[in-house]
Amino acid sequence: MVIMESALFTRSVMMKLKNGSSRVAGVAVVVPSANPPQGFSPHNKCPNENSGVYSESYGPTLAHCNTTVWNPLGNGLSYEEFDFPIFSLKDDNDTQLIKQCYVDHNRPVNGSDPQYPLCAMQLFSHMSAVTNTATCMRRNTNGFTFSPESICEPLGDHNIWAPAKPLNTTQKGHKAGESMVMATARLDSRSFFSEIGPGAESAASGLITLLAAAHALRNATQEAQLSRTIFYTFFHGETFDYIGSSRMVYDMEKNQFPIDLDNVHSVLEIGQVGLFSSSKVWLHTDPVSRRNGSVEEEVKKLVSNLQTAAKGLNVSVEEPGVTQPLPPSSLQRFLRARPFPGVVIQDYSSSFANMYYQSMFDNADSLKMSYPPNLTPEEQLNYVTDTAKSLAELATMVARALFVQAGGEESQVSAIKADELLVSRMLYSFVIASNNSWIQELVSSESAAQLINETANFYISVERQTSLPTVLVQHLLANLTGSTANVTQEDCKNQRENQDDKESKHLYSYSWVQGAAPPNSTERKGFCVRSTVHGTKALSPAFELEDYNSKDYSTWTESNWKQIKGRIFLVASHDLEMLTLGLGIAVLLTSLLLTYVMSSKADILFSTGREPTSATY
Amino acid sequence: MNLERLPNEEKLSLCRKYYLGGFALLPFLWLVNVVWFFKEAFVKPPFTEQTQIKTYVKRSGLGLFCWVTILTTWITIYQHFRAQWGEVGDYLSFTIPLGTP
Repeated sequence: MVIMESALFTRSVMMKLKNGSSRVAGVAVVVPSANPPQGFSPHNKCPNENSGVYSESYGPTLAHCNTTVWNPLGNGLSYEEFDFPIFSLKDDNDTQLIKQCYVDHNRPVNGSDPQYPLCAMQLFSHMSAVTNTATCMRRNTNGFTFSPESICEPLGDHNIWAPAKPLNTTQKGHKAGESMVMATARLDSRSFFSEIGPGAESAASGLITLLAAAHALRNATQEAQLSRTIFYTFFHGETFDYIGSSRMVYDMEKNQFPIDLDNVHSVLEIGQVGLFSSSKVWLHTDPVSRRNGSVEEEVKKLVSNLQTAAKGLNVSVEEPGVTQPLPPSSLQRFLRARPFPGVVIQDYSSSFANMYYQSMFDNADSLKMSYPPNLTPEEQLNYVTDTAKSLAELATMVARALFVQAGGEESQVSAIKADELLVSRMLYSFVIASNNSWIQELVSSESAAQLINETANFYISVERQTSLPTVLVQHLLANLTGSTANVTQEDCKNQRENQDDKESKHLYSYSWVQGAAPPNSTERKGFCVRSTVHGTKALSPAFELEDYNSKDYSTWTESNWKQIKGRIFLVASHDLEMLTLGLGIAVLLTSLLLTYVMSSKADILFSTGREPTSATY
Repeated sequence: MNLERLPNEEKLSLCRKYYLGGFALLPFLWLVNVVWFFKEAFVKPPFTEQTQIKTYVKRSGLGLFCWVTILTTWITIYQHFRAQWGEVGDYLSFTIPLGTP
């Protein structure tokens, strides 16, 4: 059993433990309160290498991060197989207790072996599934087995999307005359350890920017008659080989989605936008599809829209060299289907600025969110940090560019402005604590139970669990782009304006949220939010097709597990254990002997003095 | 049932029934036969039906031996190679231990 400081939690050390001796039964890593300055990423150097667009048949020179390594700090630990459990420990009293136990009992004194009793530790984390997805999915469905419990479950959740104007969502397939500008962000992240997936920069920064932009565009898109519709989309499971985007593209191709690929005009994706040192963002485009004349023209328009939008704002935009491929992004899955004009906004040019990509350190500190000391949680919620200010600037730029891209007048863009306080509150909710007064007002009472007082976990998890970020984004997007509908709670839950209304449910979705409690009252006054926000399954098409060895789609599953726990205790010396065992066996033998003697001499022992009753036979 | 109280003819017919029953893929009947009638066949002083009982017990023993060999070989092969057989191995299995290949 190894307990190590997180500075030692590196690839070389872990691989030594894995391959060295089979005597390692488990590892516990003590997580420090401060982030390591040298950076740490347990993800690959080339994230989603084999599921993006670049391959031998599409830009072979750009495939497999040939031109640039996106995540140079990645050590790939998340994708190694370990035969022993690896736990993370917070640096608190319990951990001190474990350390003390080691110091008291196990530390060698003067070079001699430590004396019994020794301190021992046991970690439990039993995983049911083995080998690969094909194996465990087969065993799940194998009708011949006794055990009803499943062995593994596919990763899945929901993509959240909302068109800026109402769209008939019941009717699937091509929508004649509709042209959509997709504005997308990703909804998930992960880390090496379960339950910890802060994803502050990997996911939260981008999706908050998009939410703020959507809010800034609410009035503008309703007032102006735009020739194209902005389609806000939040993809889930992108970390695991683009689960969400591959599913949406698949649904569009199969006419299982309210729009199809012909309706998509262009894609603007917001990636990691922590904006650390400078307020500079990079506009990434795909050099392969730009060889196509019409795509090139549209890409240029989109880029110039963004550049124009940045003028007068505290954001500068720049384009990396054209020989560079797209970074890991949902747009790649669209490009796999056909060439689309698209731009991905990132805060780096050729490798991640994020030093903690998809690790447990990708938290508020990594976003440089700092609050003045001694603020109450309520004050922190409403405090506008510098991070929030720069993200709001970026959101304004994105919103203005989207407006023009959708056919809006350049003259009207100055009215579009993202709200700094809103961005700050969203940052607080995703990265610090979702259980706050602001969020509580905006979510339904069922969702309120999911709110927590710590960082949201951006790990996608299995399909039957809806992750907290999905719930938050769904409610936030509804509140920020929708409007309050003056309907009863019952009508609201039945997706209608009134008793006779059968049409609205095709265009809108209604949700009854908790609302605020009026002064002098503890009872919340709920209200109904009417929006165009919908959620569709983000489950890899591989599971729809039952092709578990798919090369095109994500096939990640999560093993079912038994309770995860650990304990420490003292073990006695070998001699003492043997003595106890020997004594036990001796007692057993003596009692057996005694019983035998007693039963064989029963007539002598028990029949004296009294006439046996059996004598009458 | 106590064999001691049974007349010899009935012992023979019982032994014969167990021997024949064993052919219905029931090796345990042969095992019972061997254990049960071993004394009668080989230890007891000779009696008329003993030779026939002896034959049945011997044959039961032989059949039992064949079964044991076949089953041991198969179980060894199966346990050793189940994981390698992959899909086939899973379909051959009734219960698959959790957390092992």
